[in-house]
Amino acid sequence: MMDADLLVATFVDLADTMVADFDVIDFLHMLTSRSVELLSVSAAGVVLADPRGALRVAAASSEAAGVVELFQIQNDQGPCLECFRTARPVAAADLNSPDQRWPRFAEAAARAGFRSVHALPMRLRHEVIGALNLFGSGAGPFGPEDLRVGQALADVATIGLLQERSVRRNETAAEQLQAALTSRVIIEQAKGKLAERLGIDMERAFGMLRDYARGSNQRLTDVARNFVDSATADFPPPR
Amino acid sequence: MPDSRHTVLWGLVVARAARHGRPASAGDVCEVAVTAARVNGGWVTVAGGPGPDFLMHVTDPVSEWLAEFQLTLGEGPCHDVQISEGLSLGSDLEDAPSGRRWPVFAPAAVQRGARAVFAFPLTIGSIRVGVMGLYRDSAGPLPPAQLRDCLLLADTATVLLIEAGSHGVEQAGDGNGAGLPGQPANLALHRVEIDQATGMLTVQLGVTAAEAFARLRAYAYSQDRRLADVARDIVTRRLRLQPDSSADGDH
Repeated sequence: MMDADLLVATFVDLADTMVADFDVIDFLHMLTSRSVELLSVSAAGVVLADPRGALRVAAASSEAAGVVELFQIQNDQGPCLECFRTARPVAAADLNSPDQRWPRFAEAAARAGFRSVHALPMRLRHEVIGALNLFGSGAGPFGPEDLRVGQALADVATIGLLQERSVRRNETAAEQLQAALTSRVIIEQAKGKLAERLGIDMERAFGMLRDYARGSNQRLTDVARNFVDSATADFPPPR
Repeated sequence: MPDSRHTVLWGLVVARAARHGRPASAGDVCEVAVTAARVNGGWVTVAGGPGPDFLMHVTDPVSEWLAEFQLTLGEGPCHDVQISEGLSLGSDLEDAPSGRRWPVFAPAAVQRGARAVFAFPLTIGSIRVGVMGLYRDSAGPLPPAQLRDCLLLADTATVLLIEAGSHGVEQAGDGNGAGLPGQPANLALHRVEIDQATGMLTVQLGVTAAEAFARLRAYAYSQDRRLADVARDIVTRRLRLQPDSSADGDH
């Protein structure tokens, strides 16, 4: 049975985050962390469909190399790609079973310590704009309640991505999607700069950038951009 | 697959440049984009450091006017992408949302014969080298295949401009524009390690993010290795680049 209090708290927190001018990558990152807690999985990630025809990782609950690689590898094969094609939830309940539809993906998942994966579509009308990917360390499919909550989280991710603008036209969705992907690149560049400057890992660097953004009431992307653009490597960057 | 389409488009850019007897430039990319997107014209503006952007390439007089007007006015789809993270697609400059977004630009552009204007940022994250604009004399969105081509071409123009810039504008005439020979990296298949490595190199080399990206690519090219593989070595701290030579490491 899912913890009802945690469920309520999660959706209240997510709604609270969606105030004017919020940072979509910060939001999606929070959503992946909360998905891990709520659904008792080991890792979660939001993967977006770049109109260029590729799947791109927008946010992941863990920075571990194997985890990120797992999301990236799905450009070639895996449940996430399948989820985009079919616009339906796709599950691989036991990646250890011998008959694998996605052998390369299953191997990478096993290396990273996962045995099951679920991909839940982020739908906008009839289009799939992304997917919420959930990795478990144990085998077994989600029950109906987990699936329902997982899909609700994926739907909230869609709403967050499309932000405050009402999507009258597909174009606006394309604009928002590109903005999110660019934000993500800016944040990765800033993480690299900070990690190098302080000799810390990427996870720590992200945490510092995010905490500073929240503490100073700025968008994470703006903090990251100022830091990368700054002529010095001093952190926090001059405003 | 995005990779094969990327290669097809690059082939068109190179073929066009070859017909003019020079290395591929962002201008060639713009011309290919106009054809691929089935629009009437296009332009490329380039970020000139702290000063205002300047016009680098136009395909026709209407494009020239659209580009210059937006630079002067500080309004329009191209202006939007300069100050935001995304692209800006004005598929019908006579509709109400366009009127709200660009109250001066939209009616003026329509009067000049542009019903739709599409602006693509030439950026890799915080690296901003310019904007590619396209216009069409009829309203309507860019269909998905055309949007995909424009985004892939914008990536190509971005890499060409970064490499032209990193080799110094004063080297003009000495094969500038193309920078390195060969196909620019397909940014659609971008790995996060490339962005992280770019950020790390700004500190290791004491350079801007644009220069860091160019150095990363130059190193990968000189070692005949994939960009993503070199980036991973940098992120995992198996490789450091030195400020003076573009190639150094622990082995």
